[in-house]
Formats: sequence, C-alpha cells, structure tokens
Amino acid sequence: MLTKIPEFNFLKATSVDEALRLIATHSNYKLLAGGTDLLMDLRIGRYKPEVVIDISKVMELKYIKDLGDKIAIGSLTTLQEVLESPVVRGKAPVLVEAVSNMASWQIRNMATLGGNLCNASPAADTAPPLMVLNASLKLRSLSKGERVVNVNEFFLGPRQTVLEKGEMLTEVEIPYVKDAGQSYLKLGRRNAFTLSIVSVASLVKVEDGRFKEVRVALNSVAPTPVRARSVEQALIGKEVSYEAVVKASNEVIHDISPISDVRASAEYRRKVSIVLVRDSILKSLSGLGINVR
Amino acid sequence: MSVEDPYALLDKWLNAQELLVVGKDVTRVDAFQKAVGKAYFTEDYLLKEALFVKQVLSPYPHARILSYDVRKALDIPGVKAVITAKDIPGVNQVGYALPDQPLLAEGKVRYVGEVVALVVAEDYDTAFKGVESVEVKYEELPYLLDPLEAMNRNDILIHEEIGSNIAFKTKVVKGDVNEGFAKSDVIVENEYRTHHQDHIYLEPEAALAIPDMEGRITIICSTQYPHLTRDIASKVLGLPSSYVKIITPYVGGGFGGKDDEGPLVAAKAALAAYLTGRPSFLMYSREESIAIHPKREATVIKYKSGASKDGRLQAIDVKIIHDTGAYANRGPFILWRATVHASGPYEVPNARVEGFAVYTNKVYQGSFRGFGNPGIQFAAESQMDLLAEKLGLDPIDFRLKNILKEGSTTITSQKLDHSVGVGEALRKVAEASDWWRKRREYSLDTGRFRRGIGVGVAWHGISTSRGVPDWSNAYVKIEKDGSVTAYTGIVEMGQGAPTSAHVQIISELLGIPPTKVKVIFGTTDAPDTGATHASRGSSIGGIGVLIAAAKLRERLAKLASEILNVTPEEIMFKDGRVYSKKDPNLYIEWKDLIKEAISKGVELSATGYFFLPKGKFDDVRGQGFAYPAFSYMVVISEVEVDVETGVVKVLKVWPALAAGRILNPQQVEGQLEGAAVQGLGYALMENLVFDGKGRVVNPDLTDYVIPTIRDVPEIQKPIYVEDLFKYGPFGAKGVGELALIPMPASVANAVSHALKTRVTSLPLTPERVLELIRSSR
Ligand SMILES: Cc1cc2nc3c(=O)[nH]c(=O)nc-3n(C[C@H](O)[C@H](O)[C@H](O)COP(=O)(O)OP(=O)(O)OC[C@H]3O[C@@H](n4cnc5c(N)ncnc54)[C@H](O)[C@@H]3O)c2cc1C
Repeated sequence: MLTKIPEFNFLKATSVDEALRLIATHSNYKLLAGGTDLLMDLRIGRYKPEVVIDISKVMELKYIKDLGDKIAIGSLTTLQEVLESPVVRGKAPVLVEAVSNMASWQIRNMATLGGNLCNASPAADTAPPLMVLNASLKLRSLSKGERVVNVNEFFLGPRQTVLEKGEMLTEVEIPYVKDAGQSYLKLGRRNAFTLSIVSVASLVKVEDGRFKEVRVALNSVAPTPVRARSVEQALIGKEVSYEAVVKASNEVIHDISPISDVRASAEYRRKVSIVLVRDSILKSLSGLGINVR
Repeated sequence: MSVEDPYALLDKWLNAQELLVVGKDVTRVDAFQKAVGKAYFTEDYLLKEALFVKQVLSPYPHARILSYDVRKALDIPGVKAVITAKDIPGVNQVGYALPDQPLLAEGKVRYVGEVVALVVAEDYDTAFKGVESVEVKYEELPYLLDPLEAMNRNDILIHEEIGSNIAFKTKVVKGDVNEGFAKSDVIVENEYRTHHQDHIYLEPEAALAIPDMEGRITIICSTQYPHLTRDIASKVLGLPSSYVKIITPYVGGGFGGKDDEGPLVAAKAALAAYLTGRPSFLMYSREESIAIHPKREATVIKYKSGASKDGRLQAIDVKIIHDTGAYANRGPFILWRATVHASGPYEVPNARVEGFAVYTNKVYQGSFRGFGNPGIQFAAESQMDLLAEKLGLDPIDFRLKNILKEGSTTITSQKLDHSVGVGEALRKVAEASDWWRKRREYSLDTGRFRRGIGVGVAWHGISTSRGVPDWSNAYVKIEKDGSVTAYTGIVEMGQGAPTSAHVQIISELLGIPPTKVKVIFGTTDAPDTGATHASRGSSIGGIGVLIAAAKLRERLAKLASEILNVTPEEIMFKDGRVYSKKDPNLYIEWKDLIKEAISKGVELSATGYFFLPKGKFDDVRGQGFAYPAFSYMVVISEVEVDVETGVVKVLKVWPALAAGRILNPQQVEGQLEGAAVQGLGYALMENLVFDGKGRVVNPDLTDYVIPTIRDVPEIQKPIYVEDLFKYGPFGAKGVGELALIPMPASVANAVSHALKTRVTSLPLTPERVLELIRSSR
C-alpha cells in the first residue's frame, strides 16, 4: 500500500566528482537518476534514505560514443536516447529491441540505462541484452577509483549488485560483435507498457553450419537476470538444426528458478521460458539468414 | 390533448421526417477544452484554505471494533479532527438497496479496506501522519471469502441482522422446465465463472465540500447522480436536502463506479467540512480506490439448456450466484438484471432462473458498465454455441432461429411489441465479417497459431427494471439574446451526453447553432433527472431536454404563425430563422421572434418532466413487465491463439448495434470502441487478486493490468439498426454499456472455436489458456 514519501535531505550533484564526494560522506543515501524506480520505491516504503542525491543533471554521463571496436554509453543516458541512437541500432540491435518495448515514451525520456541496471530488478529489460552482448560496467568511487565489472557478474540478488557504498556506475561498454544474429523476445501480460513474465535475449554466431557462439539470457525467472549456460553449452559446436535448438532450449530449466507471483506461476514461467528461448534462438538465426524449419 | 403533452411531443419528434442536427457527426462542445487540457475536473477546484481528509482503513476482513483511540492523532499539530461513526450528526446508513451499510464502520468491519475513520488536517502529509496514529482495537472474527461456502453457512454471519449470508434472492419462472427438457433432443449443462473487475477510471474518486455562511454546503465532486449524492450527504449530515448543493464538473470516467462511490466520497468530505467549518477535500489514491470502491461482481453460474432437433430452444434452468462482498449496495438490482437477461436475446418457452447475492468478507460488488449482464451473457452465449454444435448447426444460424423479434415474448412473458432489431443486426454483421467462410476455414488450423471466430449477442433492458419508477426532466430557458441555457442532472463523464446529444436536440428543435446552446450539467440546481447510468444519459436523460425544448418550440411556432399569418404546422426553425415551409420568404429572425415573445408575454422557460410508462411485475413468480425496451448488441471477434504460450490476440472486432436512433454516430462509435476494449480487457487480462484474508494483492496499475492502445484490435465501423423506441428522444434507446456486454462471450467463443475446447471461466490469461489446452487433451 502506498505511504507518503518519507522525509529526506535532497542534494544535487552536477559533476561525477561532486556526486562521488557526496556519496562518500553520507552513509544512508540513494542516488536519483531518472527517478522512475526510486520514486515508486520511496512511496511504497521500500527505502527510507536520509539523503537523496540527484545526479540527473550530471551531463558528463549522458553520451553514446562509437569507439571503433565498442560502444560506450554514459550511465545517465536515457532509454529513449538509446532507442534513437543509430550507433546502438547498428551494433547492438538486441538492446534496441529490448528498449523499444520498455515502459512508455514518457517514462523512457526520464529513465536511464544506469538506473535500470543499478535498480537490479529481476525483471530489468536491459539486463538480458547487455548480458548476451558481454557488456562491461565501469564503477567509480572516491576511495577505490575506477573498476570494471562484466555485467554478467554485476547482479547479486533482487535489488542487490556488486556496487559498494560510495560507488556509482558511470559507463556501460558494449564490445562489437561481428556476424552475430541477435534477438529479444518479451512475454508480458499485455503487448506494451508492462513488466515481463519472461524475456529472453539471444546472440548466435554460426561457422561452417555449426554454432560457434551462443549466448542466452533471461529475466523474471530468477532472483537476478540470468544467463542460460546449459542451453549455450548444449549448442556450441553443434550442427545448426531445428531439432538441436529445440532440444537445447529444454535445458533452460536448469538455469532458472522462477517463483510464483501475481504475474504468473513458476510452472508457467518454466514452460514459456523453453518456448521463448527456442523462439529467440531461431529468430537470431534467421537474422543471419539461416531459417531452420 | 394539450399541445404541451409530453407523450404527444415525444411522439411527434419520433416521427419527424427530416432531421438537421440530430443523427449527424456534430462535434461535441467540450472536445477542444479536453484536447488541450483546459477542462476542469474536481481536483482542479481545490482551494488553498481546504483541509485534507484521509481515511483509516480496516486491516481485517471481519472484526469487531472494540475501541478507538484518537488522542495521539489529535495531538499532532495540524490535525483538526478525527471522525468516527459516533460523530455523524445524521444517519450513518448509506446502503442503496438494503439498509446494511454504514458510511463509517460501526461495530464491525466486514472487508479489508473498509473505512473506519476520517482524519482531517491542514495538509496531506499531516493527514497521513494522523491516519498512522489513530489506534483502533479489533477483535478478529472468522471470515468467509468463497460465496459458495458463505451461502451454505450460518455459523459465521457477515450481517447478523439478516440471519443468513444470502443478501438477496431473485426468481423467474416461465412454463415448465421439466417439460421443456423432455422435449429437448440435446441438452447442455455447465458451470461458468467470471471474476471481479475494477473500473480504473483515469480520475480517482474526489470531492471538495465547501460550507457557506448560511449553514449550507456545496460539494464539488466526481459522481454520477448529483441528486442522489445530495440526498445521501444531507442524510448523513442531518440537514434538509435543500441545504446541500452538488456541482459535478467534468468527470474523468465513471463506468458505474462513481454511481456507487461518488455519493460516499461526497458525504465524507461534507462530514469533514460540516464538523470543522472549513472547506474539506478528499481524494483517493489509486491504491485506495482499488481497495475501497465496489467492483464488478464475481459470478458462479450453473446453466442447463435444451433444444429440439429443429433448432428451437426448449428450456433453460439457471442458477446465478453473485459474490456480493461485504455489502449489498446495488447488488440486488444487479442480480435482477442478470436474472431477467439470463436467456440471452432469444425466445425460450420454458425457463427457471434463480439468483443469489451472497455476502463475503471482500470488497463489495457494485455498478459497472453492463450491470450484471456481461457475466450472464457469457454463460448464455457459451451454451448457445454448445447447443449449436450438438445440433450440427452453425452458431449464427442456430441463433437466428431463436432470436427475439417483434411479437416475441421474453422469459418474463413480456411481449415485445416494437423496437427489436437484433435479428437484423446479427444477420448483417455475420455477412460483414464473412462469418460462415471463416468459421469453416479456421476450424482447419492445426499449427501453433490457431485462428478462431466467435459471436456474442446481448440484450440490455432500457430504464429501471420492473415497475421501479423512472423519469426524465430538464429545465430549458431562452435568454433575451436568443441563446439557450439548459439545466440537467446528467453528468459529463467522457460519454458526451450533455455536451453533444443534449446540445444537438436543442439545436434541432429551436433551429439555432450548437454554439448558442449551453447545457449546465451535473447540478442539483436542475430538476432531478435521474442518474447517469444504465446507458440513459443521452436517451432517457435527453427526453427531458427534448420535451422542454419542444414546449418552447410549440409556443414560439404559435407566435410566429400569428405574426406571419400562416398555420403553426407549417412553421420551420432553421439556421436562426423561423419561416413558413410553404413560402420561405415569409420569415422572422429567431432573435426578433424572442423579442416579440418577451413583449407579448410568451413564457421562455420550460421543464421537460416525463414519466416512463411501465407495466406490472410479479416478484413472486418472476413474471411480467421487465423493461420498456431493450437495446441489442452483437460483437463478432476474430482471434489468434498461440498454443505454446497461451497468448490470445484479438485481431478484429465487428460491432453491430440496435439501439434505436443514433443521435450522433461519431459519439456512438467512440462508446462502442471504448466499451469493446474495456470488455476485451475483462475477458483477457484484468484480474483482481485476493489473498487468503480477502485483501486485494494488486491494488495498483503495475499489477492490475488493463489494455493499452497496443492491445486494441482493428475495430470495424459499427453496423446500426435503428429500431426506434417510442419512449426515447427521436427513438434513441441507449448505448453506453452495450458493446462491453457481449465482449467476454464473443472473445471466449472465438477462443473456444480456435481451440475446439469450451472456455468456461475468465479471464483468458496466457496461463489459463495453456491449462485449458492441457486439460482438453
Ligand atoms: C510506468 C513504468 C513502466 C516501466 N516499465 C519498465 C519496463 O518495461 N522494463 C523495465 O526494465 N523497467 C521498467 N520500468 C522501471 C524503470 O523505468 C527502469 O528501471 C529505469 O531504467 C530506471 O531508471 P531511472 O533512471 O529512472 O532510475 P532511478 O529510479 O533514478 O534509480 C533506480 C535505482 O538505481 C540507482 N541508480 C541510478 N543510477 C545509478 C548510478 N549511475 N549508479 C549507481 N546507482 C544508480 C538509484 O539509486 C536507484 O536505487 C518502468 C517504470 C515505470 C514507472
């Protein structure tokens, strides 16, 4: 049930340095980027911070750069900016596909890429695509400086990440992947503007008729977004065929641990995870011009 | 007969040869204001000096209230009052159909979310703190959540005074069902279940009550029946009705929900204003709205029906159980409607229908677009498909053999003497959708994506049921400059009754442009017009406007005929001019005619009271006159079902409507589209989830999911059959609820067709659909 927004001190940073200094000096704080998760969480009493530090005007973290072999996206870049970026569309279409189905235009203009990741919802929609793209996250703090963490190691649990006190996410780096088919499929309770029941991102590379690289990630079926390593292993090196994909997709149940909630039951999530993994891999293959059945 | 006899005037305009404004796509007068965000809703009238009211809600489904401790709350600076049942100066009783419901809980609470106390404070946050500081001691009582269990138990009573958990029973008995089943060659029997639905109006409930210096109170509020709202508020305050004035600005959606909750919100704000002497404002959050206000009833319907080889229905035996929740509210009326409509729009010679409204410890049932009808039409229409299948007939061919027509009798043995266009609507829409071909072709689908096409046919009684009085009225006056002001109690809640239909009627009758007509709506300053519910705002609500304007026209026609020296019969009113039909050069300008009227002593104001003639109904046998007429709706839906994920996509929808005169095709189309989408949401995704204590688990828009524009199918141009109704303005019957009613049936029948398995419960969530597929294997 809704409660009123608790009282807190409100501070505003205009540079990364200032933000880092502020989070180094306060212990019970929350960063505010687009606020589209944080404000709701304050209203339902999930967090009761003493200080809210607004970083939405830290302009130096709003960018999308093409670095030749990778794309660098500042953590405060909005989802709408990601969606409209020709660079991202060209090099990381699976991310664009995921973002295009997120929230609504209004929300996407506020919501940031960094916020979606740092909020660490099991249902975060940018997580599966970034996981199959093997993105790296740059984290920064005053005491430790910068460190780089692979997005696949970033999530620890619902709303828990490896981010330490005083540390913030500054950049998401997406390495180019050549000759890969990519796709994102989201199953929700309606066609748009909804949290997923299950979503699947996949990325495949094929060489000489065999799977050279397979990466599959899902959300909403475990405490964190997860990679489907069993599916990946079952396919890598195998000859590309419909049967192989179907067989490997069944393996996803070893990678996930869904719960039942008001959105769907665990059993249903297990069932459709298999279907969506299969469909997503087939779609990624067809992106490479390979249509098996 | 006087020239101002309302029945004669209504009849005259029913048969009008040529209409200039009515029946046309006239742009409603509020369109621009709303499009640019200038329209004012209740919250926009908030005064700086207003106090904020917040509600203390029950955390228990069923408990005795032992004591209240409000001292801590009152100690908070800024808290002005804490109001509980004992502070109510008037009567703490707001039950609509039965006197079973207090405004503020008294003695017991009966559902999680029941309002126990009001905290009134200088600002919202302080009111919030006050709510958290009110201490109520409860003694928890055993509770009942399942209506089937509740109706069979007397050891736990939700309302001791009634002595049972059955709040109300209804009955219709026609002919002899045993004989009917004996004559039947095929018999089908099933149990159907439908679920709760929340209205999710854009604007949550709100009221601002302002006391004045003469002991009166004005309440600006979001409600559907200003006069009833006033009556309830004044009863709670212990004031004469005339001391309370209601102003209903634009309402941000009602769908029936504000018919029930609107008066209660107003009464609570008024109570705070009355006891503190300060303007007081109450607005629900979305979460409060979902937790507190009444919902579409959940139903369990046992339905047995039989037909003979020649394709004629022979008998139905139906038991309807409504989960009424904690209070009866309008449940008995809703149950009546379901009971009387149980056959669907078909001739059935033998019928037994029994209805039970059962108390449970959940948020209570209330008015919602369709009013008991969507659930029962879903059951009835499923049965029709099953019977057709057993008979080897096409579902629409079978329906057409049994469809109501002029001269048919209903299951209450009411003879329908006119205005029965449903057969024609069904035939036409079947052709438009290419029904017969698709029905055959889609049956052959075997792949992952299965197509299906289904039909839902529904009827909906116009006006109140049985002999319950119903009337219309309005006050219309012509100003000195020739412009016209009309007063009606009908509200504008998005449907456009007072901002299009009423404006058009006056414009038509007096021959002046819509821009010269101002309809003041939603006010108790108008004569009691009845509620804006039951699809009656434009139709029955429009009668009063029509009759008042027609009286003025008769007077002015007489005056003009004297001035122009022609007969009153040949006088025309058009484009601001009054002239002779025979010789248009004989004319007088409208403005000049008004001046003449003023100087010659012709009264330029009139009321349009009209009392709907009704027949007799015998409640004991459940036979007799049920409604003055019925509106009819057919919806054909085409779906595609993914048998691997269970996702249902509604691809196309064909609506057909037989609701008498279409006063404004554009507005009617809007109503049909909106209702179809609301019905589709109900059929596919909307679902209120209760936990083991009867608490709503998803009282927010994250998890109570309604359709967005991307879920909306291609809705085809509606087919209209204008089966004029003699007691409607220009023959209009009523539209607002119609397209929602057959929607669950239509979608469920299409999904059943696609899957070759009968859907018997809703909503058709992907998960439910997969279960259905599995259980049918
Ligand atoms: C109506 C609606 C629809 C939505 N639909 C979707 C959807 O379809 N899919 C989906 O995945 N999400 C959805 N969301 C959730 C939300 O919009 C996204 O998660 C969004 O990306 C969050 O970004 P933000 O900038 O608003 O984060 P904020 O709310 O500002 O922050 C979220 C959390 O991350 C922390 N944080 C933010 N930035 C940083 C940083 N740089 N370093 C460290 N910590 C940081 C904050 O302290 C906070 O705890 C929806 C939300 C709403 C309100």
